[in-house]
Amino acid sequence: MNEEKKNTSGKSRVGGAIFFAGFIVALVFGWVLSPNLIYSQRMQPMQFSHVAHQDSSCEDCHFFREDGTYSGIPRIEKCKECHEAPMGETEDERILVEEYIQKDREIPWRVYAWQPDNVYFSHAPHKAGGMECVACHRDVSSEEKLPPYQENRLTGYSKNTMKMDACEKCHADRGISNNCNTCHK
Amino acid sequence: MMFGRRAFLQFAAGAVGGTLLSPLPWKLADDSAIWSQNWSWRPSPERGPITKKATICTLCEGGCGIRARLVNGNRAVLLEGNPEHPINRGGICPLAASGLQFLYAPYRITQPIKQTQKRGEASGFKPIPWDEAMSELLDKLVNLRTGGTPHAVACITGQGQGSMRDLWQQFFDAYGSPNFFQMPSHSDSLKLAAFLTLGKEEPLAFALEKASYILSFGSDLIGGWGSPGRMLALWGDWNAAQSENKTPSAKIIQIESRCSMSAAKADRWIPIIPGSEAALALGIAHVMVKENLYDTSYVATNVFGFEDWTDSQGKARQGFKSFLLASENSLEEASRRTGLEPAKIVELAKDFATQPNAVAVWGKSRDLPEKVHHELAFLALNVLKGNLKSQGMISLAPSVPLGPMPQVLADEVAQQGLARKSLDQVKAQDIPLSRKSLYGFLKNLSEAPSYPIEVLMIHEANPAYSLPGNQVFQKAIQKVGWVVSFSSYMDETSLQADIILPNHTAFERYDDVIGVPGLPQAYYAVAAPILPPQWNTRHSGDVLLQMSKNMGGSVADALPWKSYDAFLQDRVKGLAASGRGAVAQTSARQLQETPEGASPKANYKDGADLWKKLASGQCWYDAPQNPLQLVQSPSGKIELAFQSLQSKELEAGKDEQCLPNFSSIALSGNEKEYPLTLVSYQALFLSHGYLPNPPFMTKTLWDFILRNDDSFVELHPETARSLGLDEGNRAVLKTPAGECIVRVHLFPGARLDVIYMPQGLGHKAYDQYIQSKGANPNELLEVQMDPVSGLGTAWAARAQLRRA
Repeated sequence: MNEEKKNTSGKSRVGGAIFFAGFIVALVFGWVLSPNLIYSQRMQPMQFSHVAHQDSSCEDCHFFREDGTYSGIPRIEKCKECHEAPMGETEDERILVEEYIQKDREIPWRVYAWQPDNVYFSHAPHKAGGMECVACHRDVSSEEKLPPYQENRLTGYSKNTMKMDACEKCHADRGISNNCNTCHK
Repeated sequence: MMFGRRAFLQFAAGAVGGTLLSPLPWKLADDSAIWSQNWSWRPSPERGPITKKATICTLCEGGCGIRARLVNGNRAVLLEGNPEHPINRGGICPLAASGLQFLYAPYRITQPIKQTQKRGEASGFKPIPWDEAMSELLDKLVNLRTGGTPHAVACITGQGQGSMRDLWQQFFDAYGSPNFFQMPSHSDSLKLAAFLTLGKEEPLAFALEKASYILSFGSDLIGGWGSPGRMLALWGDWNAAQSENKTPSAKIIQIESRCSMSAAKADRWIPIIPGSEAALALGIAHVMVKENLYDTSYVATNVFGFEDWTDSQGKARQGFKSFLLASENSLEEASRRTGLEPAKIVELAKDFATQPNAVAVWGKSRDLPEKVHHELAFLALNVLKGNLKSQGMISLAPSVPLGPMPQVLADEVAQQGLARKSLDQVKAQDIPLSRKSLYGFLKNLSEAPSYPIEVLMIHEANPAYSLPGNQVFQKAIQKVGWVVSFSSYMDETSLQADIILPNHTAFERYDDVIGVPGLPQAYYAVAAPILPPQWNTRHSGDVLLQMSKNMGGSVADALPWKSYDAFLQDRVKGLAASGRGAVAQTSARQLQETPEGASPKANYKDGADLWKKLASGQCWYDAPQNPLQLVQSPSGKIELAFQSLQSKELEAGKDEQCLPNFSSIALSGNEKEYPLTLVSYQALFLSHGYLPNPPFMTKTLWDFILRNDDSFVELHPETARSLGLDEGNRAVLKTPAGECIVRVHLFPGARLDVIYMPQGLGHKAYDQYIQSKGANPNELLEVQMDPVSGLGTAWAARAQLRRA
């Protein structure tokens, strides 16, 4: 009987250790490993250096169109303005000219801040409200290489896609309406 | 130590606790919620700059202006009415609104294909390069010419009034075949009525914009009659005028057996026996003449054949007046023929005669010819009212002075071919006003043709489905050596082809619209493409020009253009050189308000400038004409006794043959076996012609028109009760031509003992969204051949209905 008791107390200590081990493993998996497992790293179709383009202003490529819509990522027409012929010896320059400009194909950029179709987002009122681009987007002013694009394996969205709670929080802080139809038309 | 079951459970319990304290489950829950947003088959519009491009819709002949909304300039996402266009003034019909579903249709033929198995095998089609397909056609055409049998080539086109039709005609004249046919159109018989009455074979036009009273003899005015865009805009004006109690609002009297959309919205609906509209027109004319309510001074000055007359041989002939007053055209007779009380006919006649701008319009639909004598009866009613005059309600549709076609200098082979009678004319010696008749062609071809048809080309038409009484086409095509389809869709006719050279769709190509059906003003518009071709297709005009060029000789000389666009530009240059007309500016009503004789001042510099304006979606127009100045009949007046009509019956002393008269439709079949009458009807929300009903439009159908895969026929509740049928019951509908399964919808707006069936359902081709939905009345109708014109028409049949 005594022996059994001893045994059980020993067992419970061991049991606690096993429980704790499971607890720790799951915590490590949930906090440290899973974020990397959920996202797959995708490379952009070619490299682009924002630093190398500092002779132009941001608005040369990222501008508001006449009808108030935002141009977002420049189309190949824009690249063509300067890169009709290669402007350097790099591999990326070759890809740009030979693969895209000469074939008149759009570069299939992966968009870091891609919003789903059911979200109506207009840059114009946010810009007019005095927001800085970097409030939502990464600062590219000293960026030489595009960061890897992290794609959620389950949903297909970019890791950087802003989620609804972030939009709502900002709207609430500034006293802007959070009615459904503000963003879902 | 063994890691036993207990230890595992302890570890798992710890892991569950740890997991719940990590963000993982909440992240996964959130992710799974938005996972469905990126399913690959979920349609997602492209993103990019939005542009708008104005053009002209060529899905029907209405000539409406539309605007396309494009993303990145190459993905069309919306078609809407162009508010600056004078015909439709921003309105759009359901077909154009769903037009992009034809452009991006899954059933499009994306490259040339050739049948490698038996004709009609859908799986037998294999891709073939353009050059190979073209040279195959070219070889066949060249060989037939070399063999001295160019007349063995035939064509059926569904393009009624564009330059493409003229190009086909030019090709056939140069190649040497008389067998060029068009799908039936109401203008076929309308032109003949104008020819007999005025001596000009042109379609008639109606100044409905200034009408105060419209007698509509079975014309579904807002269901597709004339130009749908114009009619819908007009109807909107009338409604607005009525609701604001403003004049002028037109009073609309709808005369037809079924309560159609137009009848339901008209001021009065006069239900009559189906097919007796012309009898009512004569009844009204009878009352007008008897009560002296007609325009006596107009008739005395401008009309021949109203009073009795003497022909060139000195023979006394009956005039229209004594014909109307004769016993066979009495009021009681009209009442018997139409099923309408005499008092009602008298009332209609008095209303029509006393209203200042009253007009009678007719024609069931744009693609259905009428009996010529019936056309003449409707026209005669308008003549009694004095409607054909300067600034009158009816005029001749003016022609558009486009650049002329180069003269065809047919070589010897072509001359021989053209000297042959076209296949429809082979047995047509007894038809006094014989014109090209598609039914005649198909009938003779299917029976025992006097010469074979080796190559049949079918362009923008789907006779295998949309021709009323389409069995005749199915039989005829068996006799054809080689069938070429130019359709971009895998439709019922394409399925029967040996080779398909797909055309661009209406939105990927240049085309034009010459005139608007029923519009008194001259009209010309160019439909420019809204985006580049999406697939490996070619403009049929370019194929035809390439073909001619490769043939060389007189054929190449007759079709000298590099491309179809160049051909159109050439024609527009000719239009500009005429110096006539002007480009309609943004004032939406300016075109319709242009009165006769007030030709607008040319506001274009030259051909290039006019082309630029037209290609940007604007249209050219010119003033209406005075019909009295155009009369070229033998008497020099408007004729109500037709001296140009010579027939055997006439020689046998049957004077009514050269007067507007009525004959009831004689349907075959035993009355005991087929106690009911089947009547097909058309509607604006159901496409029934070359184009199938697109899914967007199918969405708008009531579930008493189509439910799942069953279509409905309309039946009067009493008729249904006598047959033991109730709402929604399945029934077998049988006519002498065939039978099908339908469901029954009880409809008090139906006439007793008449079954009404919509056209546009029952496709057997295309894709899962179109095929096998409902039944096609065209397989059940009986084709009636008009003995005067040889034109076939089919809208009714004797029928029986029994519970399935």
